[in-house]
Amino acid sequence: MKTVSIDRSKCVGCRNCEMACAFARTGTTCESQESNIKVNHYLDERVLMPMTCLHCSEAWCMSVCPAGAISRNADTNAVVIDEDRCAGCKMCMLACPFGNIHFDNEKLVSRKCDLCDGAPKCVEHCIAGALKYEDMNDNAAALRCKNDHKLIAQAL
Amino acid sequence: MQTDVLIIGNSAAGLSAAETIRKYDFDKKITIVSKESGPAYSRVLLPYVLRGKLDYDNLFIRDGNYYIENNFYYIEGLIVSVNTESKTAVCESSEIIKYDSLLIATGSNPVKPPIPGIESEGVYHMWTKDDLDHLMPHFNKDKRVVVIGSGFVSLQAAWSAVCKGLKVTVIELADRIMPSVIDNKGAEILTGKIKECGVDLRIDTLTLAIKKRDDGTFVIDLKDQSSIEADFIIVGTGVKPNTSFLEETDIDIDRGICVNRYMQTSVDDVYAAGDVAGGPTAFGDQHQIHALWPTAIEMGKVAGMNILGKQFVYEGSLNMNVTQMYDMTVASMGQFTDNLDCDEHLMPESSGMGYLKICAKDDQIIGACLIGKTSAMKIFGMLRPVIRLNKKLKVDITRLESDLQKLTYGVAH
Ligand SMILES: Cc1cc2nc3c(=O)[nH]c(=O)nc-3n(C[C@H](O)[C@H](O)[C@H](O)COP(=O)(O)OP(=O)(O)OC[C@H]3O[C@@H](n4cnc5c(N)ncnc54)[C@H](O)[C@@H]3O)c2cc1C
Repeated sequence: MKTVSIDRSKCVGCRNCEMACAFARTGTTCESQESNIKVNHYLDERVLMPMTCLHCSEAWCMSVCPAGAISRNADTNAVVIDEDRCAGCKMCMLACPFGNIHFDNEKLVSRKCDLCDGAPKCVEHCIAGALKYEDMNDNAAALRCKNDHKLIAQAL
Repeated sequence: MQTDVLIIGNSAAGLSAAETIRKYDFDKKITIVSKESGPAYSRVLLPYVLRGKLDYDNLFIRDGNYYIENNFYYIEGLIVSVNTESKTAVCESSEIIKYDSLLIATGSNPVKPPIPGIESEGVYHMWTKDDLDHLMPHFNKDKRVVVIGSGFVSLQAAWSAVCKGLKVTVIELADRIMPSVIDNKGAEILTGKIKECGVDLRIDTLTLAIKKRDDGTFVIDLKDQSSIEADFIIVGTGVKPNTSFLEETDIDIDRGICVNRYMQTSVDDVYAAGDVAGGPTAFGDQHQIHALWPTAIEMGKVAGMNILGKQFVYEGSLNMNVTQMYDMTVASMGQFTDNLDCDEHLMPESSGMGYLKICAKDDQIIGACLIGKTSAMKIFGMLRPVIRLNKKLKVDITRLESDLQKLTYGVAH
């Protein structure tokens, strides 16, 4: 299964990923508040960190959704929100320990990364090689994902 | 009939347990019984359907083939008694079900306060799909509704009525709204919003009587306040765990069914989970009833794991609540009430998040309460593991969001 892996040490903070995501979602704007990926800057620590859904194997948001609106896409393994079913109750935002679920203030539904049906635009537009869409079974990718899985295990 | 696992309850806790068992074992015979007919639906969605945010069909949270695909044996029926010695449960239809393991996930039911006239036709709760079916035809513009009680569910019912253009009155016995869900300041802010939305909010008053007139409308008499007229009434003054069918058993019940960290009751092979159960909390309480959806899901999972014999320990429930009403996001988590001995940190107005209070004790966050904007919800999500795992964090409120991210993602200085 493929996923978006993040190599913080390579991120240059250009925010191309945010713009690409915002545009892919809306088709009209590149404004970063419309994006499902966020690059955080921690100046004191000199760290840049892109944050996007980790598609946790035990996804809490999915178990807890009281509307049955969150499921796993069988083809891409992405954890996805069905916006017709989403009530906009925000329980998934309470559940996500990573702050990776966002809210669409116009449609009044939650939104999150869906891996662009298997062709993530954030990866396509990453100029630094910090984001990769790769098979987790691949050794190098597995190493990069290990950090994420450690985080998931700690947080859930 | 005979079954390996009998689950009484076809909702959050019951299904979470059933699905957990299925994940590891496809052969165990699992029987699910529900007194409500039809496939599983979500109570949480009732107000969203009432106000027209969701289609009625979306109430049903598992698709049509669910029971067959998962090899669940589903019985529509009321369980009237259980015998834990012979390991049997009896349905209203007199059918006897023999089990190896029993999970009680029967939830809770609304209580009726002792008000004369409360049994009249036209007085409803908003708790089940049946209630929704009764309420839907009344949710028309120009109708007048009185909501008795101002808890989380009642205020959502009132908000649905506001959205549909009804004339709404809310009556509360206490001197403020939503006693257990938000703090005093939060209640004050929300009270302002509720009134701005045109609701006639009557606090600090007792409902003396509900009188039905010949034309079918109601007059509600209040103590020391003017009476109110209404076309129908919604009562939401608290709930009580569904345990009456257990009277003849030795199962320990203290309001709810007492369970340990494995969701075991005091009787072997009998488990309980969800609104019906009082279990351990993240703050060290032994038997607390939350009556919240996420807690029901967690408890169901723990019960399922232990029915499989996996010795899975529950870390303790953490109360968390969120909803959108009166154009505000209302949320709370952990400990946040006014009487606590703790440090309170208020998010500055410039954050644009609204009223957000963080409670901390010795560099450990213990709870939060919000009447404000969705943008604050990410803080709540990240707080959950921080509160649960007792992670240390010195609260600097202006940097809280980024400090939480750093803690979450292990970004070190
Ligand atoms: C209008 C409304 C809004 C809510 N909003 C929220 C919210 O925003 N957030 C939140 O966290 N919680 C909310 N809740 C609470 C939440 O719905 C409950 O905590 C949750 O449903 C509990 O799940 P449960 O499985 O324990 O019990 P229930 O959902 O109550 O299910 C009980 C099951 O047991 C069956 N049953 C009961 N007795 C018997 C019997 N004797 N024989 C056979 N079957 C029986 C019932 O048919 C049902 O299938 C809301 C509740 C309501 C009513």
